[in-house]
Amino acid sequence: MSPLSSSLLNPRLSFSLKPLFLFSQSSFAPRKFQIPRQFVSAKRKTFSALASEQSSATDNGGRSGGGGRSGALSPSPVVEEVQRIDVNPPKGTRDFPPEDMRLRTWLFNHFREVSRLFGFEEVDYPVLESEVLFIRKAGEEIRDQLYCFEDRGNRRVALRPELTPSLARLVIQKGKSLSLPLKWFAIGQCWRYERMTRGRRREHYQWNMDILGLPEVTAEAELISSIVAFFKRIGITESDVGFKVSSRKVLQEVLRCYSVPENLFGKVCIIIDKIEKIPIDEIKRELNATGLSEEAIEELLQVLSIKSLTKLEEILGGAGEAVAELKELFSLAEKFGYSEWIQFDASVVRGLAYYTGIVFEGFDRQGKLRAICGGGRYDRLLSTFGGDDVPACGFGFGDAVIVELLKEKGLLPELNLEVDNIVCALDYDLQGVAAEVATKLREKGQSVDLVLESKPLKWVFKRAARTNVQRLVLVGNTEWQKGMVGVKILSSGEQYEIKLDELE
Amino acid sequence: MSPLSSSLLNPRLSFSLKPLFLFSQSSFAPRKFQIPRQFVSAKRKTFSALASEQSSATDNGGRSGGGGRSGALSPSPVVEEVQRIDVNPPKGTRDFPPEDMRLRTWLFNHFREVSRLFGFEEVDYPVLESEVLFIRKAGEEIRDQLYCFEDRGNRRVALRPELTPSLARLVIQKGKSLSLPLKWFAIGQCWRYERMTRGRRREHYQWNMDILGLPEVTAEAELISSIVAFFKRIGITESDVGFKVSSRKVLQEVLRCYSVPENLFGKVCIIIDKIEKIPIDEIKRELNATGLSEEAIEELLQVLSIKSLTKLEEILGGAGEAVAELKELFSLAEKFGYSEWIQFDASVVRGLAYYTGF
Repeated sequence: MSPLSSSLLNPRLSFSLKPLFLFSQSSFAPRKFQIPRQFVSAKRKTFSALASEQSSATDNGGRSGGGGRSGALSPSPVVEEVQRIDVNPPKGTRDFPPEDMRLRTWLFNHFREVSRLFGFEEVDYPVLESEVLFIRKAGEEIRDQLYCFEDRGNRRVALRPELTPSLARLVIQKGKSLSLPLKWFAIGQCWRYERMTRGRRREHYQWNMDILGLPEVTAEAELISSIVAFFKRIGITESDVGFKVSSRKVLQEVLRCYSVPENLFGKVCIIIDKIEKIPIDEIKRELNATGLSEEAIEELLQVLSIKSLTKLEEILGGAGEAVAELKELFSLAEKFGYSEWIQFDASVVRGLAYYTGIVFEGFDRQGKLRAICGGGRYDRLLSTFGGDDVPACGFGFGDAVIVELLKEKGLLPELNLEVDNIVCALDYDLQGVAAEVATKLREKGQSVDLVLESKPLKWVFKRAARTNVQRLVLVGNTEWQKGMVGVKILSSGEQYEIKLDELE
Repeated sequence: MSPLSSSLLNPRLSFSLKPLFLFSQSSFAPRKFQIPRQFVSAKRKTFSALASEQSSATDNGGRSGGGGRSGALSPSPVVEEVQRIDVNPPKGTRDFPPEDMRLRTWLFNHFREVSRLFGFEEVDYPVLESEVLFIRKAGEEIRDQLYCFEDRGNRRVALRPELTPSLARLVIQKGKSLSLPLKWFAIGQCWRYERMTRGRRREHYQWNMDILGLPEVTAEAELISSIVAFFKRIGITESDVGFKVSSRKVLQEVLRCYSVPENLFGKVCIIIDKIEKIPIDEIKRELNATGLSEEAIEELLQVLSIKSLTKLEEILGGAGEAVAELKELFSLAEKFGYSEWIQFDASVVRGLAYYTGF
């Protein structure tokens, strides 16, 4: 029975008689292509009829090789509607085409290698977390810019702005099964939702190193040591960058003198952290608003201007923890060999509410860039999540500023694509042999770009130049009849024939 | 002037006299700890007074080393409210503690190394993309389970369910600056929003290898070759696994005989892809609903049951592209040395609307 009569008899198929557009209606972007087709056909076509239709349509003297591919030149209509998409990634995000990916891989390899050299273990967590993990009511910028939303199940979730809360969550989860001290690192993408007027990014990758279970200042000293090691590996010296170090306990001690409650502490620090970014009167106003007296504010601001540990000791006295810990850190820096890299600066508080002790940030000595990295001690984060407190310290190191710094210093590595071999069959029937050569070389750990189409030698040479290939292996009839292949070393121009078994 | 008298004189500071709870009110989860503190203090304490308060509180014969650390044993109150959080990662997602991370790193290293050996370059794209990139109206499962939402700027975005549309976007963006053929790979996390009753994951990492700019079947042959190389590296052999191969052109040829419009093609494939998952009557019903005649459906289903390329050639004839390309692939597999790994199976269509050949 022909399709037409069967559809007439079958009411369910009645719409098969309707014109094409019924199936194409859409509320999306305007269609670009539409080649009308008759849906109703009197009879089923045979396969051979179809085949001759096809070959007449695609007879374009195209490519060689079996299979008569229609490829891109076929007149087949577009099966999907065309929706013009924005070819750029979403606002504030980045694509990583090969050249950018090479730089990123280079950077991450250094992060990983330094972490490995310091005996840290790698971990990872979901990029999506419950929003609750990041809601701290201290007025941090990180909270204002939280990239949160409601998922399809109406749960409040967020793309993480930082890695530390996830670390805390996982540590609480693992509980007693963890052996302290714990030295973990992670390299993860973090997000923020920021107004795009400033052309800033909405995502970046962050290298984190954390030590849990060690209350001693030696932990902070080791962390700073690892960042110094990283800088040295990529050619950055103490004349390029430095670390400003202070302690939250300095502020704590001042505020305690004024009996300011501990739960306001985080808020006060967040305000102080804005000191270089908003006018001093605004800072004073905000501090006032949290309930600090003018006297307290004055003293606080005075203390924050201190750039010498000796001066600090004069003011605070030698008995408190703040000064003692800082002196300990500077003493360790001396012993660990990086005194030249660090300096005391009481104005460093950092912008996260949960720091409880030593805080530090890496800065560029020329003063052109934002903070390169930052970290500190956070002994009481876990209890805010309902877990038992564990002493903890760590740092975050972003992938953006460091690249700007390397550019400034002319230290960006030149990373080209490097493939060891291009293997090419000079005659179509030798495609299989070429593949065999490729497999052999790959089994020996050599990378091979196998030419998969019939191309002139000139094209192959051009490709070899572009990919910095060391060697070209050519499979041609004449050589192959002798069981050999042709080899050309591109750097020297040397050329020779060699037996397949002897190819290294 | 003492803090107290200055606050009395300064109306702006009047709330400094209010009790603590005003600053702690919250609509969030119930508080776990709260140690009340006097905010109002008659006079400023000296640093030395503070220090002696501190050392008497922390005199616990604790840790050695300078600095008299209070560490975890200090009675200092919690500076933040406590919110009991769920220690598990979000439903359907995973944490990677060290042991799991080691396995993942091992696996990804093999992905990368094979890609490198085949001369592919690594790329990456944002895990968040415009939703539009994934809206294909063919009824794919990938679309039903799209993890989409509205961002804070009311834009419809989605956590990518696959990497291919991003690749396409980037290739269009780069345009003529790209040198073909292009051999790119990526390892990226992909997401879906699925009802959790089935205990399934909502995210996974996917290794992708793509060749752009090559119409020849040698490209597919090379891709399968790379997966064979990967399996061999990790100790999997042809007795453990295999590849079922077919071509969308097989279905195309059948449908063309019935003059079914090309724009229904994707839909038909998606329905066919469900053959092992839903009853055959349901399949027939859905095919009917797209407008296929019963005759067309019968023939389609018959063709789909073919497991031999020779048989397929008998049915479709040797002139069409479907058979020719498949024969070419099997010939290349022979030359590339992995015939034992692949077999023809006409029922393989795969669940993505955009496949045009294999």
